[in-house]
Amino acid sequence: MRTARCPYCDSPSVVDRPATPDRPDPVFAIGFDVDEPTARSIIRRHIAGRRLAPTALKRRALDNIRGVYLPTYLYSAVATSNFDATIGEDYTVVTVRDKKVKRETRTELRRLQGRHTCYVSDVVVSASKTITNAEVEAVEPFDLRALRRYSPALISGWISEEPALERDRCLELARTESRSALKDELRRFMPGDSVRDLRHTTEHSDESADLALLPLWVAAIRERDDADPIRLLVNGQTGRAYGKIPVSWRKIAFLIAAVGAVIGLLTLILGWIG
Amino acid sequence: MTSELVCRRCASPVEIDDIRCPICHHATPSVMPCDLPQTRVEVLRCSGCGVAVSYSVSARAPKCAFCGSVVQLESPGDPLEQSDHFLPFTVDRETAAAAYRSWLAGLGWFRPSDLKSRSSVESLRPLWWVGWVFDSKALVSWTADSDSGAERAEWAPHSGQAELEFDDIVVSASRGLSGRESTHLAESYDLSSARETPNETVPDAVVERFDLQRSSARSTVTAAVERLAARRILDNHIPGTRFRRTHVSVLHRRLSTRRTSFPAWVLAYRYRDRTYRTVISGQDPSCILGNAPISALKIAVTIGAAALLAIAAGGCLVLLGLFN
Repeated sequence: MRTARCPYCDSPSVVDRPATPDRPDPVFAIGFDVDEPTARSIIRRHIAGRRLAPTALKRRALDNIRGVYLPTYLYSAVATSNFDATIGEDYTVVTVRDKKVKRETRTELRRLQGRHTCYVSDVVVSASKTITNAEVEAVEPFDLRALRRYSPALISGWISEEPALERDRCLELARTESRSALKDELRRFMPGDSVRDLRHTTEHSDESADLALLPLWVAAIRERDDADPIRLLVNGQTGRAYGKIPVSWRKIAFLIAAVGAVIGLLTLILGWIG
Repeated sequence: MTSELVCRRCASPVEIDDIRCPICHHATPSVMPCDLPQTRVEVLRCSGCGVAVSYSVSARAPKCAFCGSVVQLESPGDPLEQSDHFLPFTVDRETAAAAYRSWLAGLGWFRPSDLKSRSSVESLRPLWWVGWVFDSKALVSWTADSDSGAERAEWAPHSGQAELEFDDIVVSASRGLSGRESTHLAESYDLSSARETPNETVPDAVVERFDLQRSSARSTVTAAVERLAARRILDNHIPGTRFRRTHVSVLHRRLSTRRTSFPAWVLAYRYRDRTYRTVISGQDPSCILGNAPISALKIAVTIGAAALLAIAAGGCLVLLGLFN
């Protein structure tokens, strides 16, 4: 943890350690925009929106909710991709048979190889072992225009985790994210009427990965006292919520029975009319 | 942008209050170096009352819970753009007025005969209109369909990369001048004559305001570079004569922008109860652009004469045919 509170006087403090390759100094941070009551009501709405969630869960109070500054790497680089694709160019064939003019569109397939270079930026990957990158992706995007230079004052009084994942692993995650974003970018970049078999290999150079602390509300809820807690996340800047809400098997069974009954009734009525 | 700071990745200049490079998003070095020899625990104290301070959501800043004072944070600045380069006026009022008179005389036959005698100058005002001048190197990747290499279909796909260089390209930010006017005027200026302050020879010149924040100014300039890059690629790099579906991806390197004010004389004149505008470059009196009335009578006469000629020619042909 980068932050602490005095057990006697509750004074918030920030711990500054010398930077190491896997635990660099934070460069950027985004302050919280969503306060605790708002985060609580967002979570309530998120659970209430799931109609198949167990009723018990909807009635239970949140175990706890905490505002956490999540360590992430903000990645950017120059991406050079070699692509190889099959481009379809449409043409029209006019045939006359039995005095009927028939127009038919056919596609000529052409191979296109080439190179595409661009900057990739604003790739955010989690450096936390607790909150996985997939969970962060679920509450993204963060509005990076609100990014500020890190200052201990920005996280004072809040929980802030130190980066736990090795930097190299985070870089690899970021490159993977960048590659899949480039796939869409390259698809839009292709000429022709249609594209198939688009393959690309991407090299990243001039990379930079800066530690950024991003605001996240983390809450836990249990269906019963002895059940495992379910983790719920709310983006502390935009209010976007995420949580794997379980479904109630009783509700599903009831739904299936109800649908079955309606179909049965309809068949009976139709049979009676016919 | 006059600052000395330069991005370490793409070599574009960055402003003092940028925390990331506007072009490639590389972090800029912090103003405050923070190399720590050992672990240190820091309690932030309110400068007003000495109580420990924590970040407050409602204030969007660290705030003291007791006395309410707020700690200022280093955040990206986005001020209104302001000119820091001025091209001096080298054309004075008399020269501008003379240029207008000779322009009016040389407009051609389709203008009313009494235009020169009956039009009157309503105002002649010196103005500095605003824009950006940029230099950039860019690696441009492109793809397009072209007629070159086409087989059964009308089009064949092509792709390529090109290193392009842009020097002293003017992008207008003016709201008063039309795009046509600013493009025409831009060619008449000596960009190396730029100074940091307006010159004194034309003291009543009005400086147009940018009306744009830095962030939107930057996106306007990068969009202009991309448009220009696409045009150059079309003109010089894609094989063939006809194109469609052109895509470009621009990797900017060393994109530097100067916020510049360009001198111009704006003249309004009146002819038969209507006002027309003429703009004269403040550095070259022969660069002049404006609108002027057209004589409907002269056009009608010309069309009539052309029609008569055509009929006469047709008649001749018919007669020739009869004789043969």
